[in-house]
Amino acid sequence: MNCGWTYDETLGDPAGGIAPGTPWEQIPDTWKCPDCGSPKSEFDMVEI
Amino acid sequence: MNVMTLPRLIDLEDKTFDPFVVEKLATGDAEDPYPLIHELQAKGSVHKGGYRELFTDLPDTLHALNQYMVFNYDTLLRVLTDAETFGNRDAFMHTLGRSFGRTVSVMDAPEHTRFRKIFQQAFLPQTVAKWGASVVDPVVTDLMSGFIGRGEADLVEEFTHHYPFQVIYRQLQLDREQAPIFHKLAIAQILTSLDLPQGFEAAAKLGVFFQALLDQRRAEPGDDLISHLATVEADGERLPDEVLISFLRQLMNAGGDTTYRGTSALLTGLLMNPDQLEAVRADRSLVPQAIDEALRWEGPVLTTIRYVRREVELDGVLLPEGAILNMILGSANRDPTKFKDPDRFDIFRDRTVRHLGFASGPHVCIGQHLARVEMTRAVNALLDRLPNLRLDPSKPPPKLLGHKLRVPDHIYVKFDA
Repeated sequence: MNCGWTYDETLGDPAGGIAPGTPWEQIPDTWKCPDCGSPKSEFDMVEI
Repeated sequence: MNVMTLPRLIDLEDKTFDPFVVEKLATGDAEDPYPLIHELQAKGSVHKGGYRELFTDLPDTLHALNQYMVFNYDTLLRVLTDAETFGNRDAFMHTLGRSFGRTVSVMDAPEHTRFRKIFQQAFLPQTVAKWGASVVDPVVTDLMSGFIGRGEADLVEEFTHHYPFQVIYRQLQLDREQAPIFHKLAIAQILTSLDLPQGFEAAAKLGVFFQALLDQRRAEPGDDLISHLATVEADGERLPDEVLISFLRQLMNAGGDTTYRGTSALLTGLLMNPDQLEAVRADRSLVPQAIDEALRWEGPVLTTIRYVRREVELDGVLLPEGAILNMILGSANRDPTKFKDPDRFDIFRDRTVRHLGFASGPHVCIGQHLARVEMTRAVNALLDRLPNLRLDPSKPPPKLLGHKLRVPDHIYVKFDA
């Protein structure tokens, strides 16, 4: 919630080593937000 | 809300002072800084000296400090994402801190982390998406009504220069009659970087106004952004007035000034490349990547700064504690090792590498999601309502100017009325 970047499972984060289609649960805990560098633990699931 | 009860904003004492003209002097008229940037990039990531001094003899408040410049993408990214080593407060206290006060850009963790989350909440993508129809579209329609039937326009003077500021203005539900004074003071306040008294005067007057407005909106909360920020609580506490007022000063400037430049760059890129303009016109799913390419190619803010908090080596250069780093975001966005043919505007280029138009790391632009909404709505409205939009061949083509905050003075266009 530091920057508002939204993880979209269909897009993944290829530059960050997360292939498109990767479910949130399968992303490693060491992964960081590509925009602000926040760790995975700082993400909240929100309804859009 | 009864706008007649809003506090009044006081204009500058010197009514002849034009901050828009003076601000152009501060940001410069460099036609193309990129050849020099590429030259320095090729010689290495880190160079001694201040970026501003490459383009102008007019000193700013960083002039006497121990400065270095950082040019290459990977080095910049390393600095932006390492806030423990490279801080904000002790850099921006010399620049934005003098204008805006105690705002998030002038903070380090843990204070920054705590306040940043609160402000970001108000600008999350799902929140600002709603502003598209409620606030952005009416502003865009209002401005376009001034030229839509004329068959020609200057899209800077008649559109981009005004609409982002007016969006912020409407979202804050301020008195529309006072909009020109607000715009003037929002620009004037940053002239503290040149030690101009009008800069300090503008910042002080905005501070007085926002304090009165906060008091009023706490007493009678509405559904506007200020009412939300004035009453929101974090860990059982409200935001301190000093932090809130400083943020509002920054918002008036950052929200109004940067998106106008980004939109102008986007329109320049598309209009100068009619094949890409036509592609976007025919397929609006290309708008997001067009926006990102504009932000890479000519992002609104070419540089930011950081403070070296401890002695550290950066790409073979030993940086002393206390040095000020000029982070040349525009250089990273044209790093040839990251972007093929980097000086070319190409909405179809490979997007594997993220641009740094909004910077990166803990201080990544809070307003980026709003900027995208505004730029999307603006481009779609122009393409929808100005058939056969093209550059006016009888007038000079748009030319971006400036070494730090770049924008064309004019974008002369024709369209079928």
